[in-house]
Amino acid sequence: MPAEVKQEQSPSNATSLAMMQEPQEVVEETVTIEEDPGTPTSHVSVVTSDDGTTRRTETKVTKTVKTVTTRTVRQVPLGPDGLPLPEGSSPLGSYTDSIDRRYMKNGSDRFIMPQATSTLTRSYNNSYNDSYGDTHESQYVRHYGLHDGYADLTDNYGSLSRGVNYRPPRYPYMPNSYRPENSYTLPIRKDDYGHVAQPQVPMGSSTVDLNRSQPERFQPEPYGLEDDRRSLGPEEEEPYELEPDYSTANRRTLPGANRGRTHREPLRDGPRVRGYPDDPIEAELIDERHPYIHGMYSAPLAQPERGSMASLDRMGGRRSPSIDSIRKDPRWRDPDLPEVIAMLGHPIDPVKSNAAAYLQHLCYENDKIKKDVRQLKGIPVLVGLLDHPKSEVHRKACGALRNISYGKDNDNKVAIKNCDGIPALIRLLRKTNDMEVRELITGTLWNLSSYEPLKMVIINHGLQTMTNEVIIPHSGWEHEPNEDSKPRDAEWTTVFKNTSGCLRNVSSDGAEARRRLRECEGLVDALLHALQSAVGKKDMDNKSVENCVCIMRNLSYQVHKEVPGAEKFQDPSTLQAPGSAGPQRKKKDDAGCFGGKKAKEEWFNQGRKNGENDKNYDTLDLPKRTEPSKGFELLYQPEVVRLYLSLLTESQNYNTLEAAAGALQNLSAGQWTWSNYIRATVRKEKGLPILVELLRSDSDKVVRAVAIALRNLSIDRRNKDLIGSYAMRDLVSNLPSGQQRPAKNLEEDTVVAILNTIHEIVTDSSENARSLIQAQAIEKLVAINRTSQSARETKAASHVLQTVWSYKELRNALTKDGWNKSHFQPTVTATPKSTKNGKPGYDDTTLPLMEKNQDGYSTIDQRDKDCKYKTGDSSVDLTEREPLKNDTNRKHYIRSNRPAVSLVDACDVKPQPVDSWV
Amino acid sequence: MSFVPGQPVIAVVERIEIKKLRHGDNLILGFSIGGGIDQDPGQNPFSEDKTDKGIYVTRISQGGPADEAGLKMGDKIMQVNGWDMTVVTHDEARKKLTKKKEDVVRLLVTRKTLEEAVKHSKGKYPRP
Repeated sequence: MPAEVKQEQSPSNATSLAMMQEPQEVVEETVTIEEDPGTPTSHVSVVTSDDGTTRRTETKVTKTVKTVTTRTVRQVPLGPDGLPLPEGSSPLGSYTDSIDRRYMKNGSDRFIMPQATSTLTRSYNNSYNDSYGDTHESQYVRHYGLHDGYADLTDNYGSLSRGVNYRPPRYPYMPNSYRPENSYTLPIRKDDYGHVAQPQVPMGSSTVDLNRSQPERFQPEPYGLEDDRRSLGPEEEEPYELEPDYSTANRRTLPGANRGRTHREPLRDGPRVRGYPDDPIEAELIDERHPYIHGMYSAPLAQPERGSMASLDRMGGRRSPSIDSIRKDPRWRDPDLPEVIAMLGHPIDPVKSNAAAYLQHLCYENDKIKKDVRQLKGIPVLVGLLDHPKSEVHRKACGALRNISYGKDNDNKVAIKNCDGIPALIRLLRKTNDMEVRELITGTLWNLSSYEPLKMVIINHGLQTMTNEVIIPHSGWEHEPNEDSKPRDAEWTTVFKNTSGCLRNVSSDGAEARRRLRECEGLVDALLHALQSAVGKKDMDNKSVENCVCIMRNLSYQVHKEVPGAEKFQDPSTLQAPGSAGPQRKKKDDAGCFGGKKAKEEWFNQGRKNGENDKNYDTLDLPKRTEPSKGFELLYQPEVVRLYLSLLTESQNYNTLEAAAGALQNLSAGQWTWSNYIRATVRKEKGLPILVELLRSDSDKVVRAVAIALRNLSIDRRNKDLIGSYAMRDLVSNLPSGQQRPAKNLEEDTVVAILNTIHEIVTDSSENARSLIQAQAIEKLVAINRTSQSARETKAASHVLQTVWSYKELRNALTKDGWNKSHFQPTVTATPKSTKNGKPGYDDTTLPLMEKNQDGYSTIDQRDKDCKYKTGDSSVDLTEREPLKNDTNRKHYIRSNRPAVSLVDACDVKPQPVDSWV
Repeated sequence: MSFVPGQPVIAVVERIEIKKLRHGDNLILGFSIGGGIDQDPGQNPFSEDKTDKGIYVTRISQGGPADEAGLKMGDKIMQVNGWDMTVVTHDEARKKLTKKKEDVVRLLVTRKTLEEAVKHSKGKYPRP
């Protein structure tokens, strides 16, 4: 399965974490404080969260620290992608409470984050802001909280009263949604007022202080249900009756995220509590001033943060007896999943959006929740919300859908499609100008596009819209460029990346999909423009470029057969040649059973004919065009060669390299006029050395794509001579020697591709065969032939050896080197091996080059299936051409060949480990 | 310091300040990083917990600024100038470290030996 937008998902998550951690900036400052006398080790801070006893020594508080804190806070606002936002646009920076802390907290709970979807973020803000006004100890604690949890809090709590008196600075920004509707209360399961609700303060006098603010709890609530009970913010966060399945604690186990998050989560609540007025009376006053505060407070259940907070609290609470007693208080709890889904249909919009945001949060990397949402029929409701006029609502719904659509569980994707989610997403894409919503939509579509059966649906509903709304505007391409103005550069936005990723996936859905994409107005033009802009700016390593090249590569596949009017360009010499279409098919059928010597000879003849023709092409000028080509014609114009060669020269991205080589491979395949031009153009543009150089790449798939491209290019006789002279050593050096693989340890498919390329080069050229011998290849070939565990390698090596032996003029030299005829004969075990492997013999060298070429693609590492897209194609194409072979078997083989997991997302999500010097 | 959900977490961090070395137009820290949320954590040779997608110091150039500041191979970078590094992509981490306008980076790092050292010097951790 093609890669999905893993990044898509992580943003929200990563963002939230990043945001939570922003205060680290502050922490940094506190670390400095830590170096003050009194700290045991100036550089080492120890944090324990085991219980209330912290070992950290208190640090002294200075005004400067406070200032620093403020400054840093404002500096660090992060956007949804975890990167800092420009000043002023940041939720953190602009946000502060203007009324009191509680108020602020409420506001921040819902509206501060641009991506309110991430609960962690928000909650972090809460604590952050709350503690903002507090004493330095609290900041200090926060710092440590990063690494740990509760123990530090005690310290802070001790200082609670001090913090209370401090008023945080007021900021102009007021969340626009201070409305009573924001609140929403879940019915309380038990009426138990006997307990005093307590914030999650582990222990100490601070708890007492906090309790004093209880009276607020009983404020009337704006629109709550009658039997609703309301409690104060802190109480809401108490982990009553957490549903274990939905608790974020489970999700916390996310790899990597653990540390950053968990460490500081417990802190969130501590400082927050401290933000409360110490004095109940004062609290009440405040409450009266802002009666709706309570409403907001009591809305916890609808808020996405709930889950995470609660779970955190639970973690912290476990350590403290007082918390335990609190936890028994049943009045507050998180909503369970059916309740959240029910809230999606709540008449009040903020409830809907909060429920959707909470769902997104719950679904993050939790396949079980996703499945539950599906089974509880939550997906149609979310899809329905996409058409909601309020941006807050459709945005959150979209965020939830994006997370739900991610993952291996294709049923979720199908469920979205079944309730017409794809047209709804496309509708919203047309309607909204909100960049964030567009990112979410296109991210969701990217996820959906990874499932084969949905590809055509996406094409049917969304191709032209995605092209018009995203690809063309972001590519910088203009339909009718203004002569005076400079051509615009492409913008590598997330929306563009997502959309191109989606199109990249759908472009692999067979001939019809390719036709639709090629004929989609402006698409090819825009993609080419974007790539040219990338080359111009030397910015070729990013994901968007990769996606674009992959689409181009896929659309270049089989152009010589599929584009309208292709028959006009068929090379007349091929049509006359005996080895054209008909015989090729026959050869293919033979393949696998026997060596197919006869077929091979036919192929030789064909090659020879081509070679002769190519001599003419070398002097042939490219066709003169009366008008500039556009649309799909651009795919195979010789001008693209330079573009691909630039990418091959400059890009560091293996996927891009592979796709660019694959595009040249596709374009140089086939017997039509344009492929002749392409082959000659690669040579004239000095592309052969570039390709040969890439044979030394560390990346298996790059080597493979390049090898196959060289093979197609050597259809051109002059190319064959050049490749034979200059590439042989690099080709041979990629071969394993005997049992020992070379350092690169290339995969079987790559080795087979190289062997087939060598075979093509030595075929019909004793000169090249001589180069092969001089490159010390015979020893390796014989070793592969005799000892390789792979039937396909054995067979391919055997074919090369047979070809070499067929040159009588070389036998003398071979014999001198100690070889004899038996070395060049197929090993007896070859046939059994191939059956054992169960792989159809389509890699037989006697197959016509073009078809084999596709096979080369189809056998490319399946982890990268989404990068290649060829797999599906070739299977389809082979079925068309080769009725005898069962398409599904083939697929089956491919699938079973490698771990299923890697089919999903290995390609993009797990690139080679990167190591950067700084 | 691997993390178990619901369990207390103990982390010992060291603060390291590295002054970048100016080399022509380039500012050099003298170490390399691996990891990040977009990387395969299983391939990180330094992490205890193979699901840890944090940023780790993979190499130190001898005598370079990082070396002199006491950074060690295998250190996990928690923060860079206050920015969290535990949940960032590889490239984000690299960018945070290589800001041209900053001559000094302050790292919070953690490593196993640190943790042990502290444990020994301080005796037991309080446990309920």
